[in-house]
Amino acid sequence: MKQLIKNLVETTGPSGFESEIRALVRAEVESYVDEIRVDALGNLITRKGKKSEGGKRIMVAAHIDEIGVMVTHIDENGFMRFTNIGGVNPFNLSGGRVRFVNGTAGVIGVESPRERGSVPGMEKFYIDVGARGKADCPVKVGDAAAFDRPFEDLGERLVSKAMDDRIGAAIMIQALKELKSSPNELYFVFTTQEEVGLRGATTSAYGIDPEIGIAVDITGVGDTPNSEKMDVGLGKGPALKVKDRSLVVDPRIVDWMVRTAERENLPYQYEILTYGGTDAGAMNLTRAGVPSTCISIPTRYAHSPSEMVDYQDVLNCVKLLLGAVSHPVTLD
Amino acid sequence: MAEVKNFLKEIISLPGLSGYEAPVREAIARHWEPLVDELQVSRLGSLEALKRGRGTEPRHSILLAGHMDAVGLIVTQVKGRFLRITDLNGVDPRVLPGQPVVVHGRKELHGVVIQPPDNLVEDHKNRAPFGIEELYVDVGMEAEELEELVHSGSMVSFATTPIEMGEDILAGHTMDDRTAVAAITYCLEILRKRIHSWDVWAVATVQEETAYAGAYTSGFSLKPDLAIAIDVTHAKGPGTSEKSIPDLGKGVALGQGPNVNRGLYDRFKKLVEELEIPHQVDVMASHSGTDAFALQVIRGGRASMVLSIPLRYMHTPVEVVSMKDIRRVGRLLAEFITDLDDTILEELQKEVEA
Repeated sequence: MKQLIKNLVETTGPSGFESEIRALVRAEVESYVDEIRVDALGNLITRKGKKSEGGKRIMVAAHIDEIGVMVTHIDENGFMRFTNIGGVNPFNLSGGRVRFVNGTAGVIGVESPRERGSVPGMEKFYIDVGARGKADCPVKVGDAAAFDRPFEDLGERLVSKAMDDRIGAAIMIQALKELKSSPNELYFVFTTQEEVGLRGATTSAYGIDPEIGIAVDITGVGDTPNSEKMDVGLGKGPALKVKDRSLVVDPRIVDWMVRTAERENLPYQYEILTYGGTDAGAMNLTRAGVPSTCISIPTRYAHSPSEMVDYQDVLNCVKLLLGAVSHPVTLD
Repeated sequence: MAEVKNFLKEIISLPGLSGYEAPVREAIARHWEPLVDELQVSRLGSLEALKRGRGTEPRHSILLAGHMDAVGLIVTQVKGRFLRITDLNGVDPRVLPGQPVVVHGRKELHGVVIQPPDNLVEDHKNRAPFGIEELYVDVGMEAEELEELVHSGSMVSFATTPIEMGEDILAGHTMDDRTAVAAITYCLEILRKRIHSWDVWAVATVQEETAYAGAYTSGFSLKPDLAIAIDVTHAKGPGTSEKSIPDLGKGVALGQGPNVNRGLYDRFKKLVEELEIPHQVDVMASHSGTDAFALQVIRGGRASMVLSIPLRYMHTPVEVVSMKDIRRVGRLLAEFITDLDDTILEELQKEVEA
C-alpha cells in the first residue's frame, strides 16, 4: 500500500484544482466499481453494489484536495505575493517549497529574514520561482500551488505534505480493492474543496442522498512534546470520532463503529477534536439529515509540509472501513 | 402543561446534550402527544409534531423551531481518579469550578467540576481563572473502577438544581433553549381550543449548538412556507450595554436583522401592539445565531422570524429567565397562527419585491 500512498501524496492538487489527482484516483479504482462519474464540483463519485435486504445506502468520503496558496500579485522583479487556500499557518512557510498546478516550482522567502520574534503575517512572505522579472515569470495572478515535499517512508511512520487527506483516499482505494461483498449500496466519493468549507461533500451527498455517511480523514494528536491535551496518539489504532467543530456524532453511530472495531479485533481510540471539521459535518446536514461519522487517522503536524501517520493505523483503518461497510448496519 | 414553571423544571432536568437528545425528546413527546395529530422523529433525532389546520388541501404550513439540545461538557481523558474535560459547544470555564455534574458513562455518575488550588500551582500568578484544559471532574471513584465506566468521549451534563427566585424567575442550566420548547408547548395548548387554517409543525430541533443541524434537516423535509425560530437572547445584566439589550421580564423580544423577514417582523409588531403584549426589539445585526439562520435558506428559502426570550448568563449552569416572557411568546405564537390566512404569503412576497 506504500507505493499507492506515495503516488497519491506526491500529486499536486490544491482545493479547486483537483484534475490531476482525480485522474490518478480514477485510474486506481475504475476496474473495482460498478459506476463512476464526476459531478459539477469535480467530485469523483463511484458506486459499488446494490442495496440488498438489510442493506443501506452508505456514502464514504475522503477529500482529494489539499491546502495550498494562490498568487495575488507579482512585482516587477518577479516576486509573488499570495494568499492561502485552506488553513495555512505562516509558521510553516519560510524556506518551504511550492509546486504550481502547471508544474512550476518555487521557494518561499520572507521579508527581513534575520528578524527574530513572532511569526510575521502571510503578507510578509513571497514566492520566488527564479524569474528574472515579471515578464518571464511562468506563473500569473490566480495560479495555485500546493506545498512540495517528497514522501518519506520511515518504516512504521510515513511523512508527507498531503497526508491530509490523500491517506484517506488511499484507505478507501485499498478498501475497494479488498472488498468482497456487501449488502449495502456503497458510494465511495473522492471529494473536492474540503479544505475551503466541505464543499464537494455538500453537493455529492445531496446528489447521492445516503442513509449513512462515513468520512475518512485525519485528526490531531496529543502525543508530541507539549502538544494539546488530546487523548489520541499515533499507533493506537483508528480514531472514532465523537465530536469536532462540525458535528457531534450520533451515539448510535459511535456505538456501531466501536462494535465493528471490536468484532474485527482492531485497536481503537475515541476522538474529540476541539478544532476543525470534516466532510462528515457536511454529510450530516444533507437533505433530511444523514447520521454521519469519521474514521480518523491520527496525524502529527497536520497542515504542515510534514504530516506524519502510523502505517499500522492506516492498515487498521482499511480493516475498520471494510468491516463497517461489508456487513448489515444495525443502529440502536 | 399544568404550569410553565413545573414543565420547565421537569425538562431542564433531563439530559439532552447536542447529539444525545433522546432522553429529553421522549419527555417532550409525552407532553406533545395529546396536543397534536402526528408525532415523528427525524433522521437526526428532532421531534416533529404536526397539528393539522382546517384549511382546504393543499394546506400551507408554518414551522416553529425550539432547540432541545443542551450545552455541557465532554470527557477528553480518564486520568487516574479524575476526568479531563472540554466544553461541548461553548461554556465559559470561569463558572465551572464547584458545579455539580452528571457523567454519562456506562452508568450515570454524580460528580463535581474542580480546579487545582491556586496556591499549589506554580506559575499561576494573579489568580487568573484556569482554562478548561486545567479543570477536572471528580466522581469520587478509584482509578480502576473509573476506567471501566468512563472513556474519552463520555458526555457530561450539568446537574445544578433549578432555583426559584420568587414567583416568576427561575434559574438553572439549559434554559437555552428548553424555554422555547416550553413556549411552543404553551402555544400548542392554546391552539387546542382554536380553529386555524394552516398546518403547524412544532419541532424540537437537535444540534442547534453545533451546526443548526435539526433546523437544516427538518426545514428540508417538512417544506414549511413560513418558519419561526424561538430562542433565548442575552438580557441586560452586569457588563452588558445599556442600550438596545432586551430586559428580563419585560416581554417578547422581536428579532430584527437579516435572518428576519421584514414583512413578518412588521406583522408581529402590529400583533403585539394590538394584543398589548409587552415587547422589545432584539437586534440581530448579522448572523442571528438561531435556527432561523438555517430555516431561512434551506430548500429554496422562505420568510423567517425570530422570537427571543430574554435570559441572563447564557451558557452557564445558572441561566435566569422569566416565566411571564415564556407565556408571552407562547401566546403570541398562538395568536399569529390563528390569524394566518391564504393571502399572507403573496403579500409578503409583494413586500419583498417592492
